[in-house]
Parts: sequence; structure tokens; C-alpha cells
Amino acid sequence: MKYKKIKLYAFILIAFTFILSGCSRSYKSSQIQFGIFAAQNALWDEAIFRWKKAVQLNPESAAAHNNLAVAYEKKGLLDEAEKEYETAMKLNPKNSYIKANFENFKKSLVSQDEDEKKEKKDEKK
Amino acid sequence: MKMRRKRKKMKRNKPLLLLPLFFLVCCSVTNYWKVKVEVPSKIALDLNQYSSIVVTDFLVQKEPKEFNLNQEIVKYFADGLEQQFKGKVSSKKVSLEKEELFKDRDFWKSLFPDQEGTVILTGNASYTQEIRKAILETRKKRDEDFYPRSQAIEERRFYTLDLSLYLIDTTTGEALYTKAFKESQGYNNPNQTAPFAFFDLVERVKEKLFQSLLGGSRIQERYLIID
Repeated sequence: MKYKKIKLYAFILIAFTFILSGCSRSYKSSQIQFGIFAAQNALWDEAIFRWKKAVQLNPESAAAHNNLAVAYEKKGLLDEAEKEYETAMKLNPKNSYIKANFENFKKSLVSQDEDEKKEKKDEKK
Repeated sequence: MKMRRKRKKMKRNKPLLLLPLFFLVCCSVTNYWKVKVEVPSKIALDLNQYSSIVVTDFLVQKEPKEFNLNQEIVKYFADGLEQQFKGKVSSKKVSLEKEELFKDRDFWKSLFPDQEGTVILTGNASYTQEIRKAILETRKKRDEDFYPRSQAIEERRFYTLDLSLYLIDTTTGEALYTKAFKESQGYNNPNQTAPFAFFDLVERVKEKLFQSLLGGSRIQERYLIID
């Protein structure tokens, strides 16, 4: 009986600490998650709104900056996207997903510029 | 006996001890979602800020005998623009004799004196065809192996479309956008006549032109993450 009681208390304690820790991450990450949910459903304006809120609540959230950059890229706001990627990289330079996003973003910019340069060269020829 | 009891208790407690570890792992792993994003490409000139486009005749330098190149280009671009441009699209006959006319502002201004917000699409065009020959070795079928391998001359028709396009503002007569396109393609099908090849080539030009004027997009993969 004693053992069962201890087991129950331990379980309640663990659940409680988990909930508490969840609450401390809480509102900030819920904004990020909600933004992801919106983006997955192609509601990019809503996603931007959520991730902007997440940045306001926690300016040091690399994820919020990264996601915001992706949304800006989607919207064609390339300058804003670059700024957000840069801050995300500064905040978490080891994150492989942010790195991959930023590198692909830079590659796409270069390929567009190269296309333009090629076209200009062809025009000169 | 005590030791045995303790061991039994430990065994029972194992799942309980693993629980916090599981939570820790769950919390420390960064979750990510791979999404496909249509990233819009840069627009060289935003055509949507104009209310109408007039496609005028083109200055044709070389054309095939089979069809009227100028007429086909005007039709093709006017139809294509009608489908994708929100404003009004029309065509107008203009006699173009010299290439210098494209830079003559007064000429273009005088064509549409009272029309604001209108752009003219015009340009230079030449469409050529050449036959290229190559010596190719032909292999016989297995049953005919005792015959020597033969060499034959194969012909391929190459078509080249040169288009220099100008977008001219009717109010200033200034060329807002100029671009030269050169598309060529070889066909080994002898029935691939000049008109068929022309539509393949002009389609490529249209895609590139419309992407830089009306906007296009590239599909890319990105990661959305949670801290």
C-alpha cells in the first residue's frame, strides 16, 4: 500500500513539474507552434503575426527569428528575410536547420543574380 | 532477504525513473517541420502598375517563307498577356523600318498622345533555320551481323529565334525595359516544320519574359523550428 502511495505521489510530482516547466516555456513557444500550424495551412500572414509576437516576447528566440525569415521569404520580402536569418544565426549559430535555411536562401539569391548577370552578358554579346 | 526486496523495488521503480529522463529528452530535442515554400522571384518591371498594354508590330529582319513572323509574334504575346495581365490588352499596326526607332521617344509619344498608364510592347525579331549534318555509325540488327557496320549522314534542322523586346511608356516615350532573347533548338524529325519549332521557341521566351514582368515563383524547402 505504502509503495503504491509513493508511486502515485511521484507520478503527480513529475506531472506537475512537467506542466510547470511547460508553462514557463509556454506562451512564447505556443506562439511559435501556432505560427507553424498556420504556415502549414498556408496562412502565412497569421504565421507572421504569431512569430512577430514570439519575437516580442522573447527577442532571443532563434526559432522565432528563423520562422519569421521563412515567412518573409515566402512573401517576397527578401531584405527582411535576410535580417531575420542573420539574427537567428547570431542567436544560435550551431542550429543545423537555421544554417541550412540561410544557406539555401543565399543560394537562391545568388542564382537569381546569376541569371540576371547571364542575361546582361547575353545582351552585350 | 532485504537485498532481494530492495532489488524487486528497484525493478518496479524502473519505469518511474525512466519517466523524467523521457521528459528531458523530449524537451531537449528541437522539433522541426520541413515545408515547401513558393518563393517569389524578383520582378524587373511591375506591369501591374499599368492599366493597359498595346502590342505593336515587330521589326522583322529574317523570317521563314512558311508563315508571317510578325503576325504570329503579335498574336502570341497579345493572347498570352490577355490571360495573365489584369488590365486591357490590345494590338496596333505600326510600320517599323529602322532599329533606331526604338530609341525615338517622340515617335512613341506621338502614337498614343492622350493615353496614360499604357505600355507598348514591341521589338526586333528574326527567325532562322539551318541544316546541320553529321556522320553517324549505324549498327545492324543481330541477325544481320555478318554485314559490316555502315556509316550514314544524318541531318538535323536547327531553328533559332532572336527576339529583342522593348517595353515603352507612352507618356514619356522611354524604353522602360529592354531584353534580348535567343532561343534555338535542333530537331531530327524531318516533319518538324518551322511553324511547329517557332511555337516551342516563342513559348520559352514568353515564360522568361512573363516571369520577370508579371512575377513567378520557385519552390524551395525550408525548416520551421521550435526552440
